[in-house]
Amino acid sequence: MQFTVETTPAYAEVNGSGRLNMVAAPLLREVVAAVVAKGSHHVVVNMEGTDFMDSSGLGALIGCLKIARQAGGDLRIANVQPQVKMVLELTSMHRVLTPYESVDAAFSND
Amino acid sequence: MPAVLTNRRAVIVEDNADIRRLLAQIVADQGFTVVEAETGRDGLDLIRAGGADLITLDLNLPDLDGIEVCRQVRTFSDAYILMITARADEVDRLSGLDTGADDYISKPFSPRELQARIGALFRRPRSQPVDPVPSADQERAAEVQRSLLPAEPLRLQDYEIGGRCRPTRSVGGDFFDWSATENGVQVTVADAMGKGMGAALIAATVRAVLRSSNRHTDLNRAFEAASQALEWDLAQSSSFVTIFHARLDAGSGSVDYVDAGHGLGLHLYDGGLRRLPSGGPPVGAVPGSTWTAGSLSLAPGDSLLVLSDGLLDAFDSVDAAMDAVADVAAGRDSAQDVCEAVLDLAGSAVADDVTAVMLRRCPVGSTEDGAL
Repeated sequence: MQFTVETTPAYAEVNGSGRLNMVAAPLLREVVAAVVAKGSHHVVVNMEGTDFMDSSGLGALIGCLKIARQAGGDLRIANVQPQVKMVLELTSMHRVLTPYESVDAAFSND
Repeated sequence: MPAVLTNRRAVIVEDNADIRRLLAQIVADQGFTVVEAETGRDGLDLIRAGGADLITLDLNLPDLDGIEVCRQVRTFSDAYILMITARADEVDRLSGLDTGADDYISKPFSPRELQARIGALFRRPRSQPVDPVPSADQERAAEVQRSLLPAEPLRLQDYEIGGRCRPTRSVGGDFFDWSATENGVQVTVADAMGKGMGAALIAATVRAVLRSSNRHTDLNRAFEAASQALEWDLAQSSSFVTIFHARLDAGSGSVDYVDAGHGLGLHLYDGGLRRLPSGGPPVGAVPGSTWTAGSLSLAPGDSLLVLSDGLLDAFDSVDAAMDAVADVAAGRDSAQDVCEAVLDLAGSAVADDVTAVMLRRCPVGSTEDGAL
């Protein structure tokens, strides 16, 4: 899984395509940790191309959320695909990692 | 007195000259041959050229990020890496460990503290790279994990119970457990994040903590105590665990349960199937969480069936999986048969641990009797 980062004045967008699993999970953590360390404390993970997420992938999102919140920011997710949505709902994590309709919408009400 | 280690090479990577000299002195006092680097790139060159048994690595280097240096070192060396950071917060510490560092220490540190950390590192056995073929250790671990599953069928008048767990590797993060209580039985199904040995260690801890929580007569209090005990351990390993934990009052058929992000507790009744609502996130996922207990009533012929999410990998949706489960459950009388059939539904292609546990209240007039 490859990640790309685009930074806007309001937030950093992290894009990843493929399967967010045990292999990709530490990579996502590294990418988000680096983004936050560089000063972008508001992060949107665009999950349009993430067609699968397992528990390690969910763990990475939770870890990234902690990193952003400890820096005084937040992490939100957008364009969530059906399997990822299922994992979030099954684990009740959709209340903490609420999926947004689009990347723009993620921080639009802040 | 610290043990003197001879013929070991330490590489100090630190841009601040004063701290570098201090580190070099402390490490040399422990018997290391010391070389020093001011930048990440110089450090990497020294490690590549001469090898290293110990590396102290500053997180804030002028050229490369300490985390990046750490990651690069790990591609060719298994030296002990001690990260040194001025940013003493959790984030740096976690990312330091994730990239392959063995320990960290925050500035300012005392020479004694540093020596103690280094001593502790070298007393710790080095972890081996993952072997695709199960080693004797893994076989033994699998044996131990199997032995932690309930061995005896439960003997409870008018009820029967069955369970089955299939890890994808020799060991896994799924487990189930049941044990008799004063009024009936308590049943647990849990799924620790990830797969393999790490998940199995977490699973064994969860099992022990939940077993010892049954001294609390109130389920909410028992679960609260258990989750508090687990949260710290889980935070240390950046992990979480989904848990379905239930207690049956055998006389009335009433079941109280707590579902922490598990989401696959099912009430089977009269040919129908209902998913039980969850009471909150997985344990360890959201610090300071509380969970709302739920309840259901098992009429004669009803069952509580608890699955793990590995089963869902074989289906397009949760609903499709639930339909298939209802079908296989309807045609079978014994709880163990249902669990076996549910695992067969998952097939062998599923790349996650799969678990099923079923507690069934026997129909009225059933010839099946408990031993009591």
